[in-house]
Amino acid sequence: MEFTLLFLATAIVMVIAWRGPRPLALGLFGAVLIACVATYLHHATDTLKLSF
Amino acid sequence: MTQARAITLNALSLYAVALVLAAAYAAQFIVHELPCPLCLLQRILFAALAVGPILNIRFGPRPSHYAMSLLAAVAGAAASTRQVLLHILPGDAGYGSALLGYHYYTWALIGFIAAIILIAAVMLFDRQFEDDGAVLPATGGIFAQIAVWLVIMLTVANVVTTLLECGFGACADNPLVYEMLERAA
Repeated sequence: MEFTLLFLATAIVMVIAWRGPRPLALGLFGAVLIACVATYLHHATDTLKLSF
Repeated sequence: MTQARAITLNALSLYAVALVLAAAYAAQFIVHELPCPLCLLQRILFAALAVGPILNIRFGPRPSHYAMSLLAAVAGAAASTRQVLLHILPGDAGYGSALLGYHYYTWALIGFIAAIILIAAVMLFDRQFEDDGAVLPATGGIFAQIAVWLVIMLTVANVVTTLLECGFGACADNPLVYEMLERAA
């Protein structure tokens, strides 16, 4: 579900970047990027089987 | 580099993003390999790469717009690096099939690193950030407008296919069926 919402948010940011005010596009882009990083950290729970 | 050239380059970069999203769809619909959660995140970050060029085409090239794409590319490189590391041990077959010897997440890592290098290279040309008095076509001209709408439509298509794949719950780690279609059947 979270990935569907992230795609939707990215599409909305694109439309605002193309048709809406620039500051809003910049702000929403930042929010989407933070949400992407949070989603990544939430899913990155598998242990990497590496031994350096 | 003039502003007009920079805008043409930005439009070309949007076609490149569209090509990546279309290639991901080709793997999904022709080879019938559903994207895993990390794969979806990489797709989202490829789409996020397009926001900077869209702003450059509409408002003119600015360093802040390139910086947005750089941040998306770095996040995408981190996500694809993790997936490469998850499957790096000898004997691990990796996730999904390979294309020209590399899995899709390895191609994604190469793509994000290429984006970082290309954006940094384009930012070296300072003249694009100065108003050179040239009369630019409104919203970049038809070439750029098609590129923008192509990327937006592909991203909207991903909203639909991701909803079909994952439904309203969490996406499966190794998805084999479209959850929504399975429930409806």
